[in-house]
Amino acid sequence: MTVPPGDRWRPRGSGPVVRPYAVTGGRTEPAHGELLDLVAVVVATGQPLTADDRMRQTPEHRAILALCGTHVTVADLAADTGLPVGVVRVLLADLTAQGAVTVAPRRPASQRTDTDVLQEILNGLRAL
Amino acid sequence: MASAPSETADRDAAPARPAASSAPFIAHKILIAGGFGSGKTTLVGAISEVRPLRTEETLTTASVGLDDLSGVDGKTTTTVALDFGRITLGRSVSLYLFGLPGQERFSFMWNELSFGALGAVVLADVRRLSDCFPSVNYFEALRLPFVVAINCFDTAPHYEADEVRAALDLDPGVPVVLCDARDIASVKQVLIKLVETVSRSRT
Repeated sequence: MTVPPGDRWRPRGSGPVVRPYAVTGGRTEPAHGELLDLVAVVVATGQPLTADDRMRQTPEHRAILALCGTHVTVADLAADTGLPVGVVRVLLADLTAQGAVTVAPRRPASQRTDTDVLQEILNGLRAL
Repeated sequence: MASAPSETADRDAAPARPAASSAPFIAHKILIAGGFGSGKTTLVGAISEVRPLRTEETLTTASVGLDDLSGVDGKTTTTVALDFGRITLGRSVSLYLFGLPGQERFSFMWNELSFGALGAVVLADVRRLSDCFPSVNYFEALRLPFVVAINCFDTAPHYEADEVRAALDLDPGVPVVLCDARDIASVKQVLIKLVETVSRSRT
């Protein structure tokens, strides 16, 4: 049995060895819930997990969970883990279902941002 | 606001470090748009640490002839990398700057990125002013507050803001500012102008 010459070595820089959605078991859509916004804030609940849930967690789940201690958004999680945003959303839905993380409610886009918040942003920018 | 110590013995448990500040943390999105090579990544990098964000996007026919798919007939998604940067302003507010992919074939991503955004900066290069038309049209249609920032490239001819405003046929409420996307002070002024515009649009 011969190995086709092209299959023997992978060229450098050809991307991750594992296809992105392999870490979600092929799932491309979150189990349930709405599509998380890129700046949705995710917070770890600190709630102990059942042994079952813990076994079901992949290293990627744990990597995300470990980053959720402080103020962190979906975009931060994707950038810090190097996983595509779509994958992070699927894994976050799993963690939410387990009760390990919660997503801070995002105000609907139609609702006007408080003048206070805008003023806080302006003050912050000026002080940079 | 001390949370009760949990009895859990497992070291794998989630890190229980809930936000200490009283005000809820809010992340605001600002979009940085403009044509290819107009300085979007430079602008984000001038004021924050740029981090790449990978997204898997469905391939569309718009990419035919541009993205070489020969030999990978089954490929239906592609990785699109976005630039983003975070500016932390105090304990409870952060700004997230997202560079919109400039090429027309990525415009389908704009809807998702614009959802809930505070506003946008359209970067313009006077040598290729027409490159920013799609962004201007898009934000006008969306009624999202935006400012046009003319990135003053060293080799570009100088135009006054009013000349650019006329050329773009902008609404009087849309500020046009000159900027240097490499310079943090200049970028800061652009963002301040944008937030002021957002404030005005909401009163």
